[in-house]
Amino acid sequence: MQIFIIASRVLSQLKGDKRFLAISIVGPIVIIFLLKVLFDALDADLPKLPQIPVKPGMPPIQPPAITTLSFILPAAAFVIHFLCFVICAILLVQERTRGTLERMLISGFRRTSIIGGYTVGYFGLATLQSIIVVTEVLWLFKLDLSFTSIFLLFLVIWLLAIVSVMMGIFISTFARHEGHVFPFIPLLILPSIFLTGVIVSPDKLPVWAEFIGKLFPLRYANNIIKELMKPEYAMVDLIPDYLILVGYILALLFLASRTMKETE
Amino acid sequence: MHAIEINNLSKNYGKFKALQHVTLNVEKGTIFGLLGPNGAGKTTLIKAIAGALKPNEGSVTVLGLDPLKNKWEIRKKIGYMPQTASLYGDISAKQNIRFFGKAQKVADLEKEVENILKFTELENRANDRVRNFSGGMQKRVSLACALVHHPQILFLDEPTAAVDPHLKIRTWELFRELANKGVTIFVSTHLMDEAHKCDRIAILREGILLAVDTPEQILSRGKTVITFQKNGETIQHEISSAKDAILKELQLLGLQKDINQIDIKSDDLETILLSITQGKE
Repeated sequence: MQIFIIASRVLSQLKGDKRFLAISIVGPIVIIFLLKVLFDALDADLPKLPQIPVKPGMPPIQPPAITTLSFILPAAAFVIHFLCFVICAILLVQERTRGTLERMLISGFRRTSIIGGYTVGYFGLATLQSIIVVTEVLWLFKLDLSFTSIFLLFLVIWLLAIVSVMMGIFISTFARHEGHVFPFIPLLILPSIFLTGVIVSPDKLPVWAEFIGKLFPLRYANNIIKELMKPEYAMVDLIPDYLILVGYILALLFLASRTMKETE
Repeated sequence: MHAIEINNLSKNYGKFKALQHVTLNVEKGTIFGLLGPNGAGKTTLIKAIAGALKPNEGSVTVLGLDPLKNKWEIRKKIGYMPQTASLYGDISAKQNIRFFGKAQKVADLEKEVENILKFTELENRANDRVRNFSGGMQKRVSLACALVHHPQILFLDEPTAAVDPHLKIRTWELFRELANKGVTIFVSTHLMDEAHKCDRIAILREGILLAVDTPEQILSRGKTVITFQKNGETIQHEISSAKDAILKELQLLGLQKDINQIDIKSDDLETILLSITQGKE
């Protein structure tokens, strides 16, 4: 089956490029560690923040409401989302610039197999990144979650990683070289930080901003994460958001198979 | 039936005309050379024949099939070696060959991979990562990937560019061996010495086909200058390079005792191709 031939080659390639593999694994570990450093500094600094003077009659300005618990897991999810997208998009664009994509097509590989093969190939990397990030966050921040919550947390991060891989594959079909990927980062990835609940809850945003936020998959991942952080939650409430993430995967798979050109 | 039939083929990229009304046929089991300067349209023509791009006008038939309508059938019968090596550098030569062999569902793949490694003299580097190979060695791996499924037609886009002379000679010997086995080879090059090794050549400039013929016939389009010394006087006769023209001229001159030196200088293929591509002919 062509999908597994390509997936196997992708895995062999990843195994062969140890530097790339190391960066893909070490990158998220370092970023999560830096977040820990940041939160430790914030925790130490926040109580000392002086009251900001305001004019009489004006409401007092509140100090930043970011807390470790509300921020760290959405931030970790964003790190995975960003890295998986960029890595996958650039590697697939490299297939185009190096001529191997065209060669694969002329050699008899079908475009759906190429997309499927890449997806399956990066499942492994995305899974590894998800396990490492979730484990590191739980350990560094000493989060006390039940086994079920940890499993559901891993599941949502993993699904988000797969969505990101699919976004990378889809976007790569529009790029003729690696540089074409970068304009998509401020367009598709960075707004997620502000609009999907990483920093502030989406329901506190203006209606239009909340609406735009609903277009980003990170919004649904954060919905699940926020629920899992509650002392009690109903599993049934999580299902729609999980299904939406699966829907993103299928929709992006379909779109990528339509936009990848077999001929010039 | 010809192996390749191209009829009135045109391809535009926006306003740029990459190919303009190209018509040519390629016989089975021959080496067909496509010559022209950089940007002449050689790669575009190869891609159009291989079914990697849609022409704006005209038709292509490969082994009697349309490369766009019957692409899956045709792709089993053709081998394609792009201009750049187009390999996966982080895996070995053997893994690259095996990967493209699997795409073609080659029966007894491991045996075929071993055979092709031997044929392309890559056995000693089979398990080395391709990114550590020289440019010439990468070209050889690329050729092996194109050959592993025993294609009936092989498309080679500048296969010996940046290849050292020894390897180049060996590569052309391989091409001739394949042609002798009945494989049709369609090769683009801008190296004039390689044109002599083809059975027929086509000359392309700015997407326009300027000439299609055997190298000998193309050579006969040049001019020959016969310079002879007669009684201390230097006399020059400029004639066509056709074999019979030189013979007739020499017969006309006769072997007169007072002619004590004859120098015959014919245009080489490079000069003739240059004059054709520059529109001087």
